[in-house]
Amino acid sequence: MAAEKGATVRTAGGVALKKPSTFQQYKTLLRKDLEQEFRTKEMLTSMGIYALLVIIVYGAALAQTSQTTDILQMSGGLLWALIVFTSLLGLNRSFAHEKEQGCLEGILLVPMDRSVVFLAKATSNLLFLLVVEVVAVPLFYFFFLTTTTPSESFWLLVVPLLVGTVGVAGIGTLLSTITINTRGKDVMLAVLFIPLIFPLLYACVSATTAAIVGAEGYADVMLTSLALAGGYDVIMILASWVLYDFVISA
Amino acid sequence: MTGETKKAPKLPEAGQWPDRIAPAVLVAGIVLSTIGFLLAFLWASPVNGAAVNGVEMIGGQMVTNVLLLSQKIFYFHMPVAITSFAALAFAGYYAVRFLMTKNRRFDTCSKIAMEVALLFVACTMITGDLWTRFEWGVWWTWDPRLTTYLILMLIIIAYFILRNAIDEPERRATYGAVLAIIALIDVPICFMVTRLIPSSIHPVVVREGGMSGDMGITLMFCLAGIAMVGFALYRLRFRQVRLTERVEALKEQLED
Repeated sequence: MAAEKGATVRTAGGVALKKPSTFQQYKTLLRKDLEQEFRTKEMLTSMGIYALLVIIVYGAALAQTSQTTDILQMSGGLLWALIVFTSLLGLNRSFAHEKEQGCLEGILLVPMDRSVVFLAKATSNLLFLLVVEVVAVPLFYFFFLTTTTPSESFWLLVVPLLVGTVGVAGIGTLLSTITINTRGKDVMLAVLFIPLIFPLLYACVSATTAAIVGAEGYADVMLTSLALAGGYDVIMILASWVLYDFVISA
Repeated sequence: MTGETKKAPKLPEAGQWPDRIAPAVLVAGIVLSTIGFLLAFLWASPVNGAAVNGVEMIGGQMVTNVLLLSQKIFYFHMPVAITSFAALAFAGYYAVRFLMTKNRRFDTCSKIAMEVALLFVACTMITGDLWTRFEWGVWWTWDPRLTTYLILMLIIIAYFILRNAIDEPERRATYGAVLAIIALIDVPICFMVTRLIPSSIHPVVVREGGMSGDMGITLMFCLAGIAMVGFALYRLRFRQVRLTERVEALKEQLED
């Protein structure tokens, strides 16, 4: 990966080494995650199937309700419940590979800023979550929303989805790094993740529901909710970024 | 204390001056809280409009005796809530100090402040819920304050679950500190979010501000008393944990 942009370091033996720039390190780590995923397709398939299964559970759970009236108001919340549970599954897996082969230790041996590891991992988690959402949201639409007519502003729901997923990936990466070293890590991640994600979830459900229902004044509600969700994203990702060094070194 | 000569700085120290005054502070806090309790029922003037939609209750006749009594819980609810916030703030402060210095003492401080915070948050939830049931007629609503406190309580519980799930002391301390800081950041955001986003079911409850002098004095007594109880609990527990650590360290030293 040594490329022309990196600074040259000369060692005692007179050997010239290229020190890759931070961005190159980031790209390498990200590519490693993506390549690993495209070879095994483990996370994407398990998350996709899990999302489908949650939709089927919804089908049973909502079978006794009158679908035409309630479903629009509820769908924002249902969609986000789906995303939260699916991302829990994915985040649990995201560091499992690293742990199995001692890969994490290898990464930590490289002399680089630890926050690069955080950014790379958060980006790969974000990409996987987005891919799953691209599959899951149309499925959700197909199963639940074709019986009714969502408002014309329906397409706006991609904005809260994007903002929410960024936050989920950011704080989720920090928490999954914490829980990978604990006993009973699967449960542990849920115990930490759900209370901490609550404000974001609340804001995103509000924005998504506003987009789907499209009632009068929905733009105001959406704007407030998205501003809050965006604020949460910025603050939490900055905090995670700062704290990540301590977490991964511990 | 045989090995005091060389390894003394490494021993966890205990028994500074706050430990000596802690029992006295505890007694004083209990006395003040009791005085506040008596004042609240015997002296503080009754309130009209303390209930939700208090505007409609104006005019003393509308307000029944029972309704007035329910407001008395405020004198305990509010000080307990403030103390819980203070304990949480201290937990966050010590967490930052721990990450800066890696001194185990600050980890112990942070953990014990969290314990006190959990106790007071639980008390806040109980006193608040009694009032909610009485005044609003429901056990639970997703009101901003209630929601925030529930989330806060869940995060504090998660903090202790996390600590229990890690064996290495170093790692446990670091993860605990990180979670304490994240929690401290998360809780105000949670309040803002639940407050600012209009929920379709429950309106934001607006409460009347302003207190008369006797109410203020009563509240001061309760606030001082409960804050002192909180401090004394923190300090006594800290002394206990710290002495335990000291004994362990001394034992290890004797074995060497």
